[in-house]
Amino acid sequence: MWATNLRIIGVVLGTLALYTLIANKIPQVQSDVPRALTLGANVTPEQLVSAGDQLYHGAGGCTACHGLGTRAPNLLTDEKGQGPIGARCGKREAGKDCKAYLHESLASPRAYVVAGYEPIMPEMGRILSPQQLWALVAFLESNGGTVDVSASDIPSSTTSTTSTSSTPSAGISGGSTDPMAIIRGAGCTGCHKINGEGGAIGPELTHVGSRLSANLIRESILTPDAKIAKGFEKFKGIMPKTFGNQLTAAQLEALVQFLVSHK
Amino acid sequence: MVDALHLLQAAADTTGAYRDFPWIGSRAAVWIAAEIHLMFAAFVLGVPIFAVVAEAIGIFGKDQRYDRLSKEFTRLLLIAYSATALWGATLTFLLATLYPKFFAYLLSIFAPSVWVYGAIFFFESFTLYLYYYGWDRWKYGRAKIVHWCLGILLNIWGTTVMFIADSWLTYMMTPPRDITPETSPANIKIWHAILNHTWMPINIHRLIGNVVFGGAIVGAYASYRFLASRTDEERAHYDWMGYVGNFIAMSALIVLPFAGYWLGREIYQYDQSLGITMMGGFMSWLWVIQAFLIAVLFLAGNYYLWVGMGRIPGAERYRPYTKWLLVVLVLGALVWGTPHTMIADSRELAAMGGSHHPLLGALGVMSAKNTAVNLMILATFLSFLLYRRANIRQVVPWAKTGTRIQAAMFVIAAAIVLFFGIRGYFVEAIVRIGYSVYQVGAVLACIVFVTLIDVLMARGAQSLGAIQWGKMPPRSQYALFILAVTFTWLMGLMGFARSGIRQHWHVYGVLQDMTPYAATPALGYAAIMISTCVLIFLSLVGFIFWLGGLAEKSTFVPSTVEAPHVGH
Amino acid sequence: MRAYLKHPFWQAALLLVLAYIVIVFIIPLLPGSAVVPKSVVLQYMATVLVGILIWVSDEEERWTKFKEPLHDVLIQPRLKVVRTALLAAVTLIVGCFTYSQVRAGVAAPPNLRSIHPAPPSQITFRGKTIALVGLDNPLRRTGDMAAHLAVGRRVYYQNCVPCHGDHLDGQGHFAAGLNPLPANFQDNGTIAQLTESFVFWRIAKGGPGLPREGTPWNSAMPAWEDFLTEEEIWSVVLFLYDQTGWKPRTWEVSAEGSK
Repeated sequence: MWATNLRIIGVVLGTLALYTLIANKIPQVQSDVPRALTLGANVTPEQLVSAGDQLYHGAGGCTACHGLGTRAPNLLTDEKGQGPIGARCGKREAGKDCKAYLHESLASPRAYVVAGYEPIMPEMGRILSPQQLWALVAFLESNGGTVDVSASDIPSSTTSTTSTSSTPSAGISGGSTDPMAIIRGAGCTGCHKINGEGGAIGPELTHVGSRLSANLIRESILTPDAKIAKGFEKFKGIMPKTFGNQLTAAQLEALVQFLVSHK
Repeated sequence: MVDALHLLQAAADTTGAYRDFPWIGSRAAVWIAAEIHLMFAAFVLGVPIFAVVAEAIGIFGKDQRYDRLSKEFTRLLLIAYSATALWGATLTFLLATLYPKFFAYLLSIFAPSVWVYGAIFFFESFTLYLYYYGWDRWKYGRAKIVHWCLGILLNIWGTTVMFIADSWLTYMMTPPRDITPETSPANIKIWHAILNHTWMPINIHRLIGNVVFGGAIVGAYASYRFLASRTDEERAHYDWMGYVGNFIAMSALIVLPFAGYWLGREIYQYDQSLGITMMGGFMSWLWVIQAFLIAVLFLAGNYYLWVGMGRIPGAERYRPYTKWLLVVLVLGALVWGTPHTMIADSRELAAMGGSHHPLLGALGVMSAKNTAVNLMILATFLSFLLYRRANIRQVVPWAKTGTRIQAAMFVIAAAIVLFFGIRGYFVEAIVRIGYSVYQVGAVLACIVFVTLIDVLMARGAQSLGAIQWGKMPPRSQYALFILAVTFTWLMGLMGFARSGIRQHWHVYGVLQDMTPYAATPALGYAAIMISTCVLIFLSLVGFIFWLGGLAEKSTFVPSTVEAPHVGH
Repeated sequence: MRAYLKHPFWQAALLLVLAYIVIVFIIPLLPGSAVVPKSVVLQYMATVLVGILIWVSDEEERWTKFKEPLHDVLIQPRLKVVRTALLAAVTLIVGCFTYSQVRAGVAAPPNLRSIHPAPPSQITFRGKTIALVGLDNPLRRTGDMAAHLAVGRRVYYQNCVPCHGDHLDGQGHFAAGLNPLPANFQDNGTIAQLTESFVFWRIAKGGPGLPREGTPWNSAMPAWEDFLTEEEIWSVVLFLYDQTGWKPRTWEVSAEGSK
């Protein structure tokens, strides 16, 4: 009798073990709670901060510049004796409280550039959703300050109120051949300075026509790494190689002619 | 501004909305309680259905064996019934303490239904007591009919209780569309919440599923008693009981996919992303496991029949055919289990040009699977038919023609299934979905008409000898155990699928799960949970069986009625 | 030899070997086929093995006969060499298997990537909310079809052709370098199975917009909403279906008229 009982238990346990093993053998996928959704209607400040934390160290790409060397101010640690960002954000720009200032520096970074730094930061509204921007603001505030971002700040997804983050690439995909529209739309000024506008990662383009011919300019746009301008060797590979796909031929020609004329 | 305040309030409220359960966490605690409650409930609801059917066969077929069988089921019910109530209470307490806010939300919508639920539960209990304890009192004549009606009443109470409970969980899964996170639960009309998209499909699906499950557990009970029995008489009785349990489980299983199909369709119609999460998205692998389990069910069920042919004189005539049925079943299982998206390493992926195999990938789509499973159903039905006919020789003059017509019906049904299966590759999705209805229709029609012809043909048939009940090798009984474990596990898996597609919502799209357990776990974790639940359930059921044996030892009376020669 | 062929044990062994040969060697040789992944081979062989075990044991006589050689090997004194060899072989096989399981390899582990993950019920397209559920291609109802197709063709050849190829079969020039491979629109498993709104979602949000189950090896597909307008995406969707001849999956008309 005991032998039979043991055999029954063996069959039951064996079957269970087999099923469990098979289910564990296949690659495991857990369905995580979507991040964007946690910033939904009834979000708490803590959730915003933790979402912002993940963005800051992850998808936002903030740490590429902030906190490394001298390209951008430190945010999470002390910056020139003024404390972390949460402590100093309210005193940066006259008339703007901490929240407004931080949101502005994310949405339109060039509106106010801290003295001593180049305006190289991209408009984060192009990369992140309005909710994510606010999560970042909350996270930054939490570093040395008090979080005053609340659910009411966040525009619900049905009413997009992001006036600052217009769609910058509309200039390209709309087929516009206005050179300055292309330059801004394609994000050239993120790295290149032209007519006093733009960053300093790439060579200045204001007098590019005197250095390069039309063919070389065209080549530099389409295959940026083919020839690297002197002094910019360490930035090789940064410029996207996708402009050939993004621009129409007419746009490319308009751009090249525009740059050639900048002697 | 009012809105914003409302949201802030909601945000502040979440802090007190949950409690955690020590060690295993609140999700696992509720999971175990709910799953085991559900398993017992399925048993308690499924068994009365065929207790009543068995009693009716006993009354109208004048076969005492069925009456005894029915009573034996009902005795198991008594203990299982209190286990159901215990686990139900545990679940309620856990929900009320671990998810107080969500529980209050549900109650504020469903309060009246909870009262009705409680009341009917009372009626059900007392009907059950009356049914069981009145068995010997109302044994003959009109009193027996009244007793039988009590059994029907018991089923009505049980089904109503289940329908009420279903409304709560289907509301969580598919709340009516006009209910938004801002809707105050006090303003939701209860009938509006009950009559949601998936309420009826779940009711029907569970009703059939309970019969399958009850049959499987009864089969396991019988095989346990068979293995433990000391006399030939006992062995014969439990062998027969195991056969009946298996027969009920397998025949109800054949209809179950159609109810499941209806449920899936309603889910798709309610919200496409729910449907895709379930079928194509992160749960798609669950269906491969499910396919594996179903293949096990088909193979084990048929195996039991074929081994059982060993105790039927005359069955050797059909032996050569079972081999080919096995081939069909194995080929069907191969196709049925072929995944669409295959697990492969990078070298294999490169060779295949993606995670779809260029040739076998064609077996991974719906058309192939429907075809395979329909052919498997046909093969299983044919097994039953051969088993049924094993010990008789038909004497009606048209027996030969009848058999030919039956064979033609099988061929036609198989041809229809194959035709639409192959054609399904060449038409657009919406048409293809409709094809499965034709395939199923052909199979069902074949089953109905062939059975009809068979019943007519068996009239006055000449017996080749009685079935030697009890002459069954033990390995067939282990097949019944595997069937029971697989059914139980499958139930746990499908429960995970149904509950898991809500993902991080308590009430889909309305009330969000804010606990650390909001993420839907991976299949491996779920499998461990399911196995745990099955193990707890089976241990308890084993205990109940043992109790049943204790009570019965003194009252076991050997059957006095000669067993008829045909099983069914 | 003939006696062996009639013995259920050797028949079973032969069947198993035959099945392995068919699955591993014959299937890849068939036209348009490829190597069968190991996971699938294992699954098929397990199924076949179960089938064979059922066959040998469903009849008392065959089962007894089947067990004979096993029984003999375990107890017959004359088969001592076979018994020892078998024990050694089993030990060796288990050892090799364990080694192959724990050995560190350079290959990426097999992964489970959902090709068509569940779409969200709505997306934000350049700040505009688009409900995907029940959504059909708006261009099918308005304007000149030929013009839409012309736009779609232009968009496709300007943007999609490097990866998805001239024949829309996922065999563009860059295809070989990508993992996962670009979708093959000619295959009956891609756009033929999907609603147009799904295709729109995938084009608009690209690889970065894939949910968790669409990872790992995030697709290299760009999020085209940054480069194309809504109408251009709808045109290219039209073009894909027109060019391949597939019909998009249509929405079931529900009683509530959610369409």
